[in-house]
Amino acid sequence: MTVKIEVLKPGLETAVQDFPGRFGFWEQGFPPSGPFDMWSFRLANLLVGNKETAAGLECQFMGPTLFFTEDCVVAMCGADMNSKIDGESMPMWKSILVKGGQELTCGFATKGARAYLAVSGGIDVPDVLGSRSTFHMAGVGGLEGHALKANQIIKTGISNEAPMQGRQVRQSCRPSISTDGRWEIEIVLGPNDDWIDKAGIKIFFDSEWKLQSRSNRTGYRLEGPDLTFAEKAINKGPEHGEHPSNILDHGYPVGSVNLCGQTPIILVNDAPSAGGFINPFTVPSAAFWKLAQSKPNDLFKFRCISVEEAQKLRRDLDSVCNEGSIE
Amino acid sequence: MIYDEPKILPGGDRFIEMELGNELNFDLNFLVHALCSKIREANISGIIELLPNMASIVVSYEPDKISFDDLKKVVLEHYHQMGSLEDVELLSPIYYIPVLYCDHVTKACWEDYCEKINKKEYDPDLMVRLNKLENYAQLERIHSGTEYWVAALGFYPGLASLIALDPRCRLTAPKYNPPRTWTPKGTVGYGGSVTCVYPANTPGGYQIIGHTPVPVCDMEQRLAAFKDDLALLRPGDRVRFFPVGREEYDYVENRVKDGSYVHNVSNYAKFSIREYHKWLSTLDMKERF
Repeated sequence: MTVKIEVLKPGLETAVQDFPGRFGFWEQGFPPSGPFDMWSFRLANLLVGNKETAAGLECQFMGPTLFFTEDCVVAMCGADMNSKIDGESMPMWKSILVKGGQELTCGFATKGARAYLAVSGGIDVPDVLGSRSTFHMAGVGGLEGHALKANQIIKTGISNEAPMQGRQVRQSCRPSISTDGRWEIEIVLGPNDDWIDKAGIKIFFDSEWKLQSRSNRTGYRLEGPDLTFAEKAINKGPEHGEHPSNILDHGYPVGSVNLCGQTPIILVNDAPSAGGFINPFTVPSAAFWKLAQSKPNDLFKFRCISVEEAQKLRRDLDSVCNEGSIE
Repeated sequence: MIYDEPKILPGGDRFIEMELGNELNFDLNFLVHALCSKIREANISGIIELLPNMASIVVSYEPDKISFDDLKKVVLEHYHQMGSLEDVELLSPIYYIPVLYCDHVTKACWEDYCEKINKKEYDPDLMVRLNKLENYAQLERIHSGTEYWVAALGFYPGLASLIALDPRCRLTAPKYNPPRTWTPKGTVGYGGSVTCVYPANTPGGYQIIGHTPVPVCDMEQRLAAFKDDLALLRPGDRVRFFPVGREEYDYVENRVKDGSYVHNVSNYAKFSIREYHKWLSTLDMKERF
């Protein structure tokens, strides 16, 4: 059966996402969107008996207050937002039966930044170009194209499974979210690392980078020292633009560190697909959960890994996001 | 230059960037699209999608299905199998877009900018002056006197960079400084040597010269053209603008409003670079419209 859930308070920016997101329309400027922390998102879905691809809610910094009209099994993973059901503390990383007439409230994230709420049967919103994910900036997908608003009704899909409450994610299979605001983030050289000189690469890896508050699902702006450029960034054709960080318009890999002048911006799930700045480094998909769970003013230190290592981390993450991680 | 062999640059665990050259050049961009078309036809397991731009292609892939080395090998193989670019013919639909030039929407947008942000010369006046044209009528003749090539989309969903295929119709325009905070959906702009139609109400930096009631992007997918797409154009398509008067503009606007407008497109049109080069060689470059 389907369940209706009323949005009493929307939270800061709570939106429907599905895994892995929207593909096939990138060349028209539509980014993949999807959950920023794919680790927590997938486990939340598995806990309630959904496929990992089902649509759920991504709650950012402060989660919503929801009223359940009927019984529904839910699970919350990722950031700790001191969620409560009818005032009683709600355990994280565990599937729970919310009874009809109960209220689920979230506060500000105390550990991490993004929490994922999965509901049994997934969230039933129209499929737009093959995905239910919200691309907030352009008003695509999700619930009427945008983040939740007060008084909207969320409908769940039909859940065929037997009730799945009381399951939890093994402690060892949960992401370890930083509590001191410091993160070591894996990063791969390229595509445009040869536009930065040796000294500049050293500066990038030796420095701590502060996450600026003007950061969101389109880009993570970093504050730190100036980088220095290689000869090819300085002496180039006019079509590459004036600043050393300018290049002839090209496509932007998701996760690439886009150097706008001297501001590195990590391009994430809702990032623009193309533009005229270089991308010297790329954060691999397996490190995205760290970005998703960091907060403004957190400090990033980057660790250089190879493409093969990045792909191994991805396989490791995929193998954690399955039934074997649940007890 | 166009490289002898594309550079394959890694972009993390799930992307590569293939750089085919390092200049702004139509033949190079055509090569980009020809290679995209070839890779798509090959239907290579593990490739998710392609993101072509001026001189490069970003390829997204599933590393569990294809390794970095295998992907590199297979895309380079396809590159070397392409043969002469002159022999390549690509399907390239032509979209016909009605434009009311130097119109009320353009004027209102410029006035709003002058009042709130920065007083500047009226855009059509600036375009006429900088490109040494006679008047608005010539601006209109030149802008609508050529087909445009969709070199890439980006910056904003549905926003296409259009390049004039007739070199005599290439205009140049400086960008706004500071940029506009708001440009009405459907505004026709010109920046650098590229023209565009704004897909939504967005900030912008191009000089504005006219307005079309025909949407190039529709998040609500109301019109027939948007049944399987949110954006009208794909890289490698073509656009032809045609000037209309206010009466025709209003008619089209009403058809768009009531949902009955059908976009005018030649879906069968192909583009051959050999024929294009031949045609270029016949042009009298001194002849102006």
